[in-house]
Amino acid sequence: MTTSKRWIPLTFKVTLLTLLLVWTLIPIIWMVLSSFKPNSVITANTPRVFFTPTLEHYASLFSSGNSLWPYLLNSLFIAGVSTLIAVVLGCMAGFGLSRIRIRGKQHLAFWIISTRMAPIAAVIVPLYLLFRYLYLLDTHAGLIVAYLSFNLPFAIWLMTAFFDDLPPDLEEAAMIDGATKFQAFRYVVLPLMTPGLVTTAILCFIFAWNDYAFAQTFSGPSTQTIPIAAAQLLTQTGIDWGKLLAIGTIVVCPMAIAGLLVKRWLVQGLTLGAVK
Amino acid sequence: MATLQLNNIIKDFGGTQVIKGVDLEVKDREFVVFVGPSGCGKSTLLRMIAGLESATAGDIKVDGKRINEVGPAERGLAMVFQSYALYPHMSVEDNMGFSLRLAKVKKAERREKVLAAARILQLEPLLDRKPRALSGGQRQRVAIGRAIVRNPSIFLFDEPLSNLDTALRVQMRIELARLHGELDATMIYVTHDQIEAMTMADKIVVLQDGLVEQIGSPMALYHHPCNRFVAGFIGSPKMNFLDVEVREASREGVSVALPGGDCRVPVMGDGVSASDTLTLGIRPEHLKLDDEGPLTGKIVVIERLGGATSLYLEHGSSEWILVADGDVAHRVHDQVRFSFAPTCAHLFKGDGEALTHLHRHPLVDIDRQENRAKPT
Repeated sequence: MTTSKRWIPLTFKVTLLTLLLVWTLIPIIWMVLSSFKPNSVITANTPRVFFTPTLEHYASLFSSGNSLWPYLLNSLFIAGVSTLIAVVLGCMAGFGLSRIRIRGKQHLAFWIISTRMAPIAAVIVPLYLLFRYLYLLDTHAGLIVAYLSFNLPFAIWLMTAFFDDLPPDLEEAAMIDGATKFQAFRYVVLPLMTPGLVTTAILCFIFAWNDYAFAQTFSGPSTQTIPIAAAQLLTQTGIDWGKLLAIGTIVVCPMAIAGLLVKRWLVQGLTLGAVK
Repeated sequence: MATLQLNNIIKDFGGTQVIKGVDLEVKDREFVVFVGPSGCGKSTLLRMIAGLESATAGDIKVDGKRINEVGPAERGLAMVFQSYALYPHMSVEDNMGFSLRLAKVKKAERREKVLAAARILQLEPLLDRKPRALSGGQRQRVAIGRAIVRNPSIFLFDEPLSNLDTALRVQMRIELARLHGELDATMIYVTHDQIEAMTMADKIVVLQDGLVEQIGSPMALYHHPCNRFVAGFIGSPKMNFLDVEVREASREGVSVALPGGDCRVPVMGDGVSASDTLTLGIRPEHLKLDDEGPLTGKIVVIERLGGATSLYLEHGSSEWILVADGDVAHRVHDQVRFSFAPTCAHLFKGDGEALTHLHRHPLVDIDRQENRAKPT
């Protein structure tokens, strides 16, 4: 191929990627930037990039009467526990689905993931009624169960795919080496599953962390999560832009940082089996 | 010290029988090779011995003790996989010592045993590396080392050399044969490569469609194949086959009609009568270029290998392969005459069964162990 022929697709690619990057990053950068602006600058008609930064919005979020702390802790606890359960159960179920020889296995796997296909709006009313009978409204457990109902099928499906990519020879070699089934899983399979576990955990955590619909419906005064706190700033008397942008930053940043930290595993996990 | 016995082993996968009743006896310190085309059930049989598959029926016995219900961990065997199956997250040393770690052997003792095995396989400089930093041949050696460290009663090999290039395969083949001599262990080896089978085995088990076709020493299989399948499978290039008509048959030999005249093959002609159709089999290396020979053929293809030359000959409607020495000056389209010694020929009945030779080949019963160099 000549250089000029190669040059055109390259330019096209770079342009496309730049546009995509601008489209994705500008709103986030603007949000983070604006969360450090004084109110007068945020609402100024001419957008300003240079200003004297202030932490007043963050300070007011954590100090005023309605502090963000309980919301943050609720979010961390509910998303964390539901993720942990989804990953542990998903790992075991995925291993079973991948390894055990049973008739109609692919139908079972499809049925499991099909429960994830229903839109949140379709399950929210039935779940609400169910939770009311089970006294799960306004409890941490209620929200954890709600997130699990969506995250567990997803985790099982994802982990099954990861296990399918791991040659069974390795477990068999371990068993010939004298390992029990559990030891083979513990010493050989699990360490090799780190990319899969991290990928699954992050995706499950993001779903629970970002959710608004379930939290809005099932949570009460003691179990509200951060997205609810953000929504409360949209009041009839006006929008507190400064605080809202600060909350937005608090919601987005941990996920972005976590994503960057485990980027290597995330890419490896999501592309596992793509190239063989 | 270990013997293995298989009694009428059957394996059924969801209604399909893949092993249809296999009987086998492996003696102590014997090197047994299972060979056969892909899908013949040889790997399944090995996996059943290892305990990775259960037998649907029949007994698997090690040293006379039935082990069907014993798990792979407790069978005390070691297996080398086709894919090597090295643990990617462990160093070479940890890979080799994994079985000892599971058996709760102390670290110092573990290291000592791993080092001893590493010394045999020249793996000492690689002990700290991860499998991904090793070449194919090195990985293979680590897999064998892992088996040695386990100190098993029987070594199982599942096509261990099939992922290596030709040169390395030859080298590893020699190393494995040497290792068998050094360790003096019972080994069972699965391959589809008949050269590996011929060069390493004390005893070859030829399998087809889940059944044993023949069990015997490499020379027995080569000189006295019991049927047409074994005759065609063992030996490279493949044996030539030609349908022939019987002129006369007795216990002292069978005369068959060939294009250049009759030929008397020294086999027992029981159950054969004149004008029956049999299949004559003759190996390419037993055909000779001979200006006085009774058979003629036109050269279609010539493969010059240096030391030997393979001539593909068209003879009427059939094609023959003839292996001559490397200095053959013939060219494609040349007409050549050739012959063979009747003692080298085989005759097969319509169902493929071979007629028994009157004389057994002198090398058939030679014990490979006597040939093996004793470690000094």
